[in-house]
Amino acid sequence: MSYCVNCGVELDATIKDCPLCNTPVINPRELKEAQKRTPFPVEKVPVEMVKRKDMGLLVSIVLVAIAVTCAGLNLFVFKQNYWSVAVIGACLLLWVILLPEIIYHRLNVYLAVFLDGLAVIVYLYLLTWLTESNEWFYGVGVEIVFFITILLEAYILCLRVLPKSILTYALYTVTALGILCVGLELLIDKLVRAEISVDWSAIMATICIIIDVALICVLSMRRLRNAVRRRLHF
Amino acid sequence: MSKKGIATAVDAVTKKDWYKLDLSAIVYPTLQRRDFSSVYRLSLLLKEDIDPEVLQKAIDMTMPRFPTYKAAMRKGLFWRFLEPNHRPGPFVQPDVKNPCQPMSFKANNRYLIRFYYYYNRISFEAHHSLGDGTGGMCVLLTVTATYLRLLGKDIENGGMVLDIREQPDPEELEDAYMKYANAKVKPPRPGEKTYRVRGTKEPFYTLNIIDGIMSTSEVMKVAKSYNATITEYLNAVLIYALAKRQEEGFHMRLKPVKIAMPVNLRRFFPAKTLRNFITMIYPGIDPRLGEYTFEEIVKHVHNYMQYYVNEKFLRGDITTNAATTRNTFIRVVPLFIKDFVVRQFYTKVQDRNSSAGLTNMGALPVPESMRPYIERVDICMGQPFSSRTNCAIISFGDIMTINFASSIIEADVERHFFRKLVKDGIHVKIESNREIED
Repeated sequence: MSYCVNCGVELDATIKDCPLCNTPVINPRELKEAQKRTPFPVEKVPVEMVKRKDMGLLVSIVLVAIAVTCAGLNLFVFKQNYWSVAVIGACLLLWVILLPEIIYHRLNVYLAVFLDGLAVIVYLYLLTWLTESNEWFYGVGVEIVFFITILLEAYILCLRVLPKSILTYALYTVTALGILCVGLELLIDKLVRAEISVDWSAIMATICIIIDVALICVLSMRRLRNAVRRRLHF
Repeated sequence: MSKKGIATAVDAVTKKDWYKLDLSAIVYPTLQRRDFSSVYRLSLLLKEDIDPEVLQKAIDMTMPRFPTYKAAMRKGLFWRFLEPNHRPGPFVQPDVKNPCQPMSFKANNRYLIRFYYYYNRISFEAHHSLGDGTGGMCVLLTVTATYLRLLGKDIENGGMVLDIREQPDPEELEDAYMKYANAKVKPPRPGEKTYRVRGTKEPFYTLNIIDGIMSTSEVMKVAKSYNATITEYLNAVLIYALAKRQEEGFHMRLKPVKIAMPVNLRRFFPAKTLRNFITMIYPGIDPRLGEYTFEEIVKHVHNYMQYYVNEKFLRGDITTNAATTRNTFIRVVPLFIKDFVVRQFYTKVQDRNSSAGLTNMGALPVPESMRPYIERVDICMGQPFSSRTNCAIISFGDIMTINFASSIIEADVERHFFRKLVKDGIHVKIESNREIED
């Protein structure tokens, strides 16, 4: 029989620290008691999740129906051009984006983002196929999609691997925003002006760097961090 | 009513293929989140280890007697409803460290109940939309009585143990609120922001449990010394613990400390329902008025209880609650809008009305022949909706169990609570599922 020296409560023989005040409990006479059965199981099981197969099936059927009916309309009624290709592409894109949410929940998030990027490129290509010029697609479209996909992958990696808090999330988001602005301007300039220079994105990047520096200061100084958390908690 | 008439009424009820949700049950599904369900747990600790196969047989034999528990939740256009669930189950399973897990309406073969076993403990978890603790305890005790009978023990029916060979009484399945919500006035609901315990949230999904086990007669003796009942005394101790926590912690200004306490309306109205039949009262103190001594808190709670916990006030309270569901304009609003409004109201108003929850199920009425086989009873209110702690009390014989369930790391309220009991001369034994990291 062990008692907490701080709280005065008797503790179950299997408890190593008082659950009320965290004080370690050592009773040299009852070391064997630790082998006793614990009052609660030690196995933690994951929460049972619902398989949303019905929703996946419903969404898939609706998207296929839209694609098929549009193709039929295009072939037999409104025959001006191949406009239905854009609708079919949009359905396909939507299906790929919804894939991890409604059909295959275990899909790796990085693979899902990569597939999304690939689907966007396919969709853009279909749009290019409908238009006369494909210069924008090969010149900047593919590169922007790749750039955003890689940036998104890196952002998710930071969110999952690096320390997690509201302040660090803000840091990753602001940094990603700054890189996105600079990258977009460089890639667009390459196509439009045929030369690479930063202009408006420099202002965005400067703002992001200032915010980043402030956030890093707050994160690195414990007292400041605690003060911010205390005043801004919600 | 003639015998034939009664038989027809019983048939009509037992053959019902759906049940309206009762007044309280309407709210619980709207609060459902990926990481939260209104699930409570009742446990019976027997004197011998449980045989899971026999327990499964007992569950299969008993559950048809409780049609509103062997049910699935469905969505209508305007309201949710329960329909009989004929899928296999519910199945008994080994107990888990993290009880009262969120309960998706579509998981677990659509059952909203779970049965667990752990050495000598049978645990029953139910979604609050099926019924309150009294109804749940009837299910658990009847299952346990059947289990003991299958093991060759002679157990009589009575108290909360129902006869499984009988058809369910229509009154057991009714929404008793609507029967008794007939006051001529609708008193306004209390609406005051109260102190909320701030703490570090545990990761999804962890429920920290601290059980305090003590002697009922010791608690009664101490409560009497303060001229209070056990409920009033324990309420006062929890208010004292919360007030102390508020005082010690960081605060811009003090806020009132109130407890949300469900009152079992069956004590005041002759209802037999196994579904929800509770209403909330909010005893508390306002530290902005000055510093309260513990004796003053007890006196305050005692006077509050005397004033509010009576048939008249409670009837008025349930009439106010029932008024919303009786309103034709509200009834025709689609369910998704109702869900949104109710969730907003609960989050912004109802949840902020109290600093913690406390329920006292009192002494468990068990048939005499069953008593020798039961060691102890436990109750757990489940995960709190917001970051706070829920306290549940139950007693069997001379053993009282006070259970705290919270999803925050800090155990300050629990510490102040149990230290006060120890200071008042009550011997407390602590059990917990917490793992303290260095």
